[in-house]
Amino acid sequence: MSRKVLIIGLDCAAPELVFEKFLDELPNLRKMLGHGVHGRLKTCIPPITIPAWMVMMTSRDPGTLGLYGFRHKKSYSYDVWIASSRSIKHKTVWDILSERGLKSCVVSVPPSYPPKPVNGCMVSCFITPDATKDYTYPKELKGELEARFGEYIFDVEFRTEDRDRVLKETYEMTRQHFNVIKYLMQEKEWSLFVFVEIGLDRIHHAFWKFFDREHPKYVPNNRYENVVKEYYKYLDREIGDLLNLVDDETVVLVVSDHGAKGMKGAFCINQWLIREGYLTIKGKPERGARLEESQIDWSKTKAWGWGGYYARIFVNVEGREPQGIVPPEDYEKTLDELTEKLKQIHGPNGEKFDNRIYRPEEIYDELNGDSPDLIVYLDNLSWRSAGTIGYDTLYLSENDTGPDDAVHSEYGVFILYDPKSETGTELQNLSIFDVAPTVLSILDVPVPEEMKGKTITW
Amino acid sequence: MREGFGVWLTGLPASGKTTIARTLEKALRRRGLRVEVLDGDEVRRNLSPDLGFTRKDRETHARRVAYVAKLLVRNGVAVIVGLISPYRNFREHARKQIGNFVEVWVRCPLEECIRRDPKGLYEKAMRGEINDLTGIQDPYEEPLNPEVTVDTSKESVEESVNKIIKKLENLGYLPST
Repeated sequence: MSRKVLIIGLDCAAPELVFEKFLDELPNLRKMLGHGVHGRLKTCIPPITIPAWMVMMTSRDPGTLGLYGFRHKKSYSYDVWIASSRSIKHKTVWDILSERGLKSCVVSVPPSYPPKPVNGCMVSCFITPDATKDYTYPKELKGELEARFGEYIFDVEFRTEDRDRVLKETYEMTRQHFNVIKYLMQEKEWSLFVFVEIGLDRIHHAFWKFFDREHPKYVPNNRYENVVKEYYKYLDREIGDLLNLVDDETVVLVVSDHGAKGMKGAFCINQWLIREGYLTIKGKPERGARLEESQIDWSKTKAWGWGGYYARIFVNVEGREPQGIVPPEDYEKTLDELTEKLKQIHGPNGEKFDNRIYRPEEIYDELNGDSPDLIVYLDNLSWRSAGTIGYDTLYLSENDTGPDDAVHSEYGVFILYDPKSETGTELQNLSIFDVAPTVLSILDVPVPEEMKGKTITW
Repeated sequence: MREGFGVWLTGLPASGKTTIARTLEKALRRRGLRVEVLDGDEVRRNLSPDLGFTRKDRETHARRVAYVAKLLVRNGVAVIVGLISPYRNFREHARKQIGNFVEVWVRCPLEECIRRDPKGLYEKAMRGEINDLTGIQDPYEEPLNPEVTVDTSKESVEESVNKIIKKLENLGYLPST
């Protein structure tokens, strides 16, 4: 009998929590660790939901995919575009399986709106505008699901101080998602079933400071102290239910696109560029103002940046950007100079930062789409980047775009559970690129040479 | 009366608990606090001369230290405990007893502790003269959710102590400077 693969994607699941901190209270995940292989999964640069899930599902790097985050700069203009499923030009695991006549169910794998044809079915992800849109493939699946589970809930608004609402809505969403996939798992035919739950990412961002005693904002004995743990325990119960729905021929993967850790603060990257003389603003912006294209004095601007869990730096190159001023021959010199200065950035009290600065052309196999000129991890992501301006400081204790107390980290979770395996082994050196080749190998499909990863064996 | 608190330094032998305890003690005294350090060998000699290093004995000793710390803390003293305290449940017990509790994981790779070995304990353990040294024969359960983690193989003593002071300020046990 041929094998099947069920992938349970938990967006942002942190290995420190799954494998250590909460493991004693996660009986189903603990059972899985005893049959197969598991370990920390090194994610891509940048460690962001988009592109990371597509990196996992294609085994290509973000440069090759031309996907560097949610937002992108429109090719050498100052405009912005948002990633969607249309941005994905490379074959995913389910595209390859479709060509071989194998069926897949793909639920909420980012970015999957608008949904694309697949040999099987697809429900789109949290970037879907709302449930009035066509969000399934085939189209009729939408009605089939809504008749049973109501309108699909794509996401929750998590950057709010109304934590009770975030909690309630996240549970409603996640419960619905698990009900949907239990239904699809039983009603549809599939060799591969992939599902990504975004709720865990939202719970981390909204509730991290309440349980992590090392977090600068942790308050002992607060009312949300156990929210993160309880949500993991809830996910574990749901995973237990899913395990009861599959037979011994099904290999089950629990994976995450990146990990999480406490946010130490936000560093005002554009404010810093202003101080260092790279960026010039017209007039005096209000505190926390967004950096608007019209507000920048491009004739005196060599570089500008974007905020987020990592910082993106763009150089204003003559002949490339509409009002570029850095002569092409000075481009390299400017980047070297910026890199040196970025390395020196330290904490508000002079603490050393573990800053990591990447040149896209040096870390990716190909450079497609609209890549930034520099990718910057401040203190290895413990400090996020604030793109807003008008501050008299470079350091903020809060995120500038709404309450958020967690940042992403460079290791996610990988658990491969094979009910037929008698042993459980922890592996080192696992990479997000290894997932797609491993899935194909389990399903006895040749791994395309272009895939970057290796097949994990056990 | 100012509120007391307990800083509980846990880590392998030779990880740097005593050095941090002494430097932190000075820093807290400079801020005008009444400070007491309950550290390692001396406390054991006075409090538990009857005990060895079995799990049960280690637990009994840790309970005694936690009790003394509790008495001091409730009288407004800043107590710094430097104790291997290798088992999580001991430290959880101390947390409950003491109340205003700051667990500091003094982290240092075992290889570096063996290299330092100021008391020659690792050497003895490896020669077989000691058979219950934490890190070699006895387990060390790493903290899962400490208030502070310091890495003495990467940070200077001052950096580690500053981290602890910053956390004490965050938690409101020390006024911010």
